[in-house]
Amino acid sequence: MSATASTMTSNTPLRDRMHANDEAFKTTGSLFGLTALTRKEDDPGTYEAVWHILSNLCNTAWATGCKVSSSPIAAEGGDALWGLHTATGEAVCISRGISAHAGLLSDMIKHFIELGYEDYPGFKQGDIFENNDPHYGGIHSPDFDMCMPIFYQDKLVAWASCVSHVSDSGSVTPGSIGFLNPDCYSDGIPISMERVGEHDAFYPWYEMRIRSRTRTPDFVMGDARGRLAGCITVRERLHEVLDKYSLDFVLDAMNEYVEDSRRYAVKRVKTQTVPGRIRKSQFKDLAMKGKRVLLAKQDIDCMFNLPMDLTINADASVDLSLAGASGTVPFGENISPTALKSGLMMGYSHVVGFDMFNSGPTTAWNVEMPPGGSWANPYPVDYQAASGVAWAPAVTWLSNLYEVFGRLFQMRGFVEEMAAGSGSIMTAEFAGINQTGMYLTGLTLEQASQGSPARGYSDGQNSAWCIYTPEGDFGNAEVGELYYPILFLGRNVAPDSGGFGKFRGGLGHTAVWMVYNTPGLEYQCGDAGMRSKTVGNHGMYGAYPTVPDRPGYGHKTNLKELIEEQKPLIHERGGPDNPAVTSKITAELAEDSAVAPFVTPEALVDYDVIVHPISGAQAMGDPIERDPESVVNDLNEGWTTQRVAREIHGVVTTQPNGHVAADHEATAKRRQQIREDRKQRAVPFKEWWLEERKKVEAQENMDNAVRVMWESSMRLSPEYGEGVRKFWNLPEDFTFTPDAG
Amino acid sequence: MASFDKADIEKLIDGVLPWPATQDMLKSSKDEDRFDKYVEIMQARVDFEDPILLPLTPMLFIVNDNGSRVVKCRCGQCFGDYRVNWKLSALIYVRDDEEKMEQVYVGREMPDPGWIQLREYICAGCGAQLEVEAVPRGCPPDFEFLPDLDTFYRDWLGRPLPDTCEFKDATLDQINEWAK
Repeated sequence: MSATASTMTSNTPLRDRMHANDEAFKTTGSLFGLTALTRKEDDPGTYEAVWHILSNLCNTAWATGCKVSSSPIAAEGGDALWGLHTATGEAVCISRGISAHAGLLSDMIKHFIELGYEDYPGFKQGDIFENNDPHYGGIHSPDFDMCMPIFYQDKLVAWASCVSHVSDSGSVTPGSIGFLNPDCYSDGIPISMERVGEHDAFYPWYEMRIRSRTRTPDFVMGDARGRLAGCITVRERLHEVLDKYSLDFVLDAMNEYVEDSRRYAVKRVKTQTVPGRIRKSQFKDLAMKGKRVLLAKQDIDCMFNLPMDLTINADASVDLSLAGASGTVPFGENISPTALKSGLMMGYSHVVGFDMFNSGPTTAWNVEMPPGGSWANPYPVDYQAASGVAWAPAVTWLSNLYEVFGRLFQMRGFVEEMAAGSGSIMTAEFAGINQTGMYLTGLTLEQASQGSPARGYSDGQNSAWCIYTPEGDFGNAEVGELYYPILFLGRNVAPDSGGFGKFRGGLGHTAVWMVYNTPGLEYQCGDAGMRSKTVGNHGMYGAYPTVPDRPGYGHKTNLKELIEEQKPLIHERGGPDNPAVTSKITAELAEDSAVAPFVTPEALVDYDVIVHPISGAQAMGDPIERDPESVVNDLNEGWTTQRVAREIHGVVTTQPNGHVAADHEATAKRRQQIREDRKQRAVPFKEWWLEERKKVEAQENMDNAVRVMWESSMRLSPEYGEGVRKFWNLPEDFTFTPDAG
Repeated sequence: MASFDKADIEKLIDGVLPWPATQDMLKSSKDEDRFDKYVEIMQARVDFEDPILLPLTPMLFIVNDNGSRVVKCRCGQCFGDYRVNWKLSALIYVRDDEEKMEQVYVGREMPDPGWIQLREYICAGCGAQLEVEAVPRGCPPDFEFLPDLDTFYRDWLGRPLPDTCEFKDATLDQINEWAK
C-alpha cells in the first residue's frame, strides 16, 4: 500500500513520504496537506521563537563554516550558504550568503531520496553527501553542494546542507568561472551524487582526488572542511532545539514554516499585483571570435535569447515559460533546469516571498520545462554541453523578474516595492605565482558589490547590492592584496554606470590594479552574466539601460618609472572618450575598451595595470523627468558628466561659486525642446513597421550571432517562432540563415 | 492593518517622502486601500476625465472611455484598445547605427548596432519617452502587460466592472490589418 499524508509515519520510507507530500499538495493545494497551521495557531509565540532560533543556527553555521574554510572567497566574501531541510528535502530556512542555492540544495536532497540512496548506500548520522555535477542537477563545478542527514532518537528528522564556491574547480582553465570550457569534460572535478564521507569525516580518497585534480587543493579542502563544520553546527544546534521544544513541535513547525511561506507569497501576489500576462525579452552577448579560445569550434560570437513569459492566474498561481530560449553554446554558459529554478527561487524571494525564505513560495509556480537543447535545458539533447559558469545566462534572465514585479507593484500603488532590473556581472580572476611564491588562482569579489536597481521613489544605492547574494560585499582591498600579487591603485565609483532615467540605478565601481611581485599573472575577465556588445533590455518607463562592460589593461607599462619619479599614476578609469589607460600611462600593449570576456593573450608582469569596471544597476523613468537637483548633485560628486546632464537629462547648469547649480528656467525650456525634437524625429509605429519588416526579412545589418540565435530560438520553440513570423508578416517557411560554416 | 495618508503616498510617488516614513511603508503590512488611493492620486494628475481602471505605468493608464477600455497617456493622448500592444499606436525612434547610438552612449559605452537596436517609444501628444527597448532586429516589441481586468476587479477586488471584455491579445489582429 502506498503512503498517503495521513498514513505516513516516521518509519515510512522517505521516497514514499516525498511522493505522498506531492500528492497531498495536488489534492489539497497546501504543502504537506496542511490545510491548517495548527502549531502557529495554537502557540504563535513559540512558533515565531523557534523560527528565529532555526534561522540563527543557520547563520551560526555560516559564520563558523566561512572561517574554517580559509579561502578568500568564503572567509572574506562569505560566498557560501547553509540550510536546514525537512526529512523530505524542503528547505525550511537558510543562512545569509549565496541565497541562490537554497532550491538547488533542496532538489539535491530530494534527488538522493528519489534515486533510492536510503536503501543503498543508506543514510546514517555522520554521512556526508555531495554533488556538483550539472547532469544531476548541480549548477557548475566550483559550487560544491553538500548535505548531511540529521538523526534524532534514531530517526532521520531533517537535513543540513551547504554550498561553497571553491577557488579552483579543476576545469581546463584555472579558477572557477569556466566561461571558456568547451564541453562538460573540461568543466573540472565532478562529484556526481556521491557519499564522500562517514562519521563526520571525509574519505581519504575524496581528499586525494581534490589534491590531484584542483590547482588550489588546500583552499578547496579548506572549503570542504568549512562545509562540514557548518553542517555539523546545524545538526548539533538542532539537537538542542529538539531537546528543548520537543521533536513533535519542531517537526510540525518546520513543515508549517514552508507552507506558511507559500501562503504568504500567494497572498502577496494577490494583494499586490494584477492577474494577466507579462512578456519580457532579454538578450546577452558572448563575443569570442578572434580571441584566445580552446577549440576551433569556439572561434565564434554568440547571442543568447533569454525570454520570460509569465502569467498570473486568477488563483494567484504563476505560470512561467522560457519559450524562445536560444540553443546551447560551446562555452560554459549553459544551465540545467533544476539550477535555473533554484535561481528563480532566489529572485522570487527578493521580489515577493521574503518573509520566511524557504521552499514554500515557488511551489505556487508552474514552470514549463524550457525548450530541450536550449541554454536553459541542455541535456540530453546536447549531453556534452559545458556549464562552467552556468549562472551567466541565468542571472541575466533573472534580472527580468525585478522589473516585471516592479511594474506589477506600481499598478497597485505599492511604489515602495518597485525595482528596475539589475546590472551585469563581469568577474575578475587571477592565476599565477603570488608574492609568497605560492601558485594561486581564484575569483576576486569585486562583482559582488554592484549598484542596486532604481526604486520607484529613489535612485539605487552605489556599490551595495548583488543579484546573486544579499551580502553585497566586495571584501577588503587589503585582503585581496594578501592573496593575489596585485596592488589596488584605485576603487572608484564609476560615473554614469547606473543607466539614465528619472531615477538611476546605483552606480558601480572601477577597480584599478597594478600587478606586482609575480613572475607572471593571468587575468581572466570572466562572464558571470556580463554584456559587452549589447545593453540590457531594461528601458523601464523610458529610461536608457546601463552601459556595456568594457574593461581595460596595459601590458609592459611605464608605471615603474612613474613611481620612481613620484609622478601621478593611474587611479581611475577615465571618461568613455578619454580612457586613463591610454592617456595617463604608456604601455607596449594598451587595451582601453576590450570586449569581454577574455583571457589576456599572455601573462601580465610587474607594473602592468588592469582597469576592471563593475556594473551599476538599471534606471527607470523618462530621463528628462529627473529632478535637476539630483543631476546637479551627481555633477558635483563626479558621478555624471555635463554631456549626460544636458543632452540626456536636459539640465542646464551654471557655476556661480565653483559649484555647479541648476538653471531651472533654462532647464524647463531645454526639456520642452527635447520633447518637441522627439516628436519631430520619431515616426508612427506603422510607418516604421512597414520598413522594418523588410529589413528583418532581408536580415539586414544583423550580426551572424543574432541570426544564429533567432534560428535556434524559432526552431526549438515552434510556437514562439510562429509569433515572430506573424508579427513581421514573414513567409510561413521563413527562417533566419546563419553564415555557412 | 496599516493605512497611510494620501499625502504621504503622494510624497512617496514624488520621491520626497522622508526615509523613515518610507521604511515604515516598506516594513508594514500592506494597506488594503492603497490601490484606490493611488488611482485617486493619479486621476487628479492626468489631463483627462475618463476613470482610470488600471495605472499601466506611471505615464500610461487603462481608462474607461465611454464604455471602451483604452490606453491613454497622462496628457490624454489615446493609444486604443488595451488588448493591443499600445506601442503600435506610439511614435517610435530607433537608434540602429553608430551615429544615432552615440547621442546616448559614447566611446566604449556604445553597444554594437549590429547586435542591438534602441527603440524609443514616444507619446505623440506630449513627447514623453514612454519605454525604451534594447533588442536585436527581429524581436517583436514586448507587450509588457496584458491585464485580466475582469478577473482583477471581480475576483481580487470584489467589485466587478459593469461590462466584461474578452481576455485576449489582439495585437496580431492589428498587424494583420496592416499586412493587407
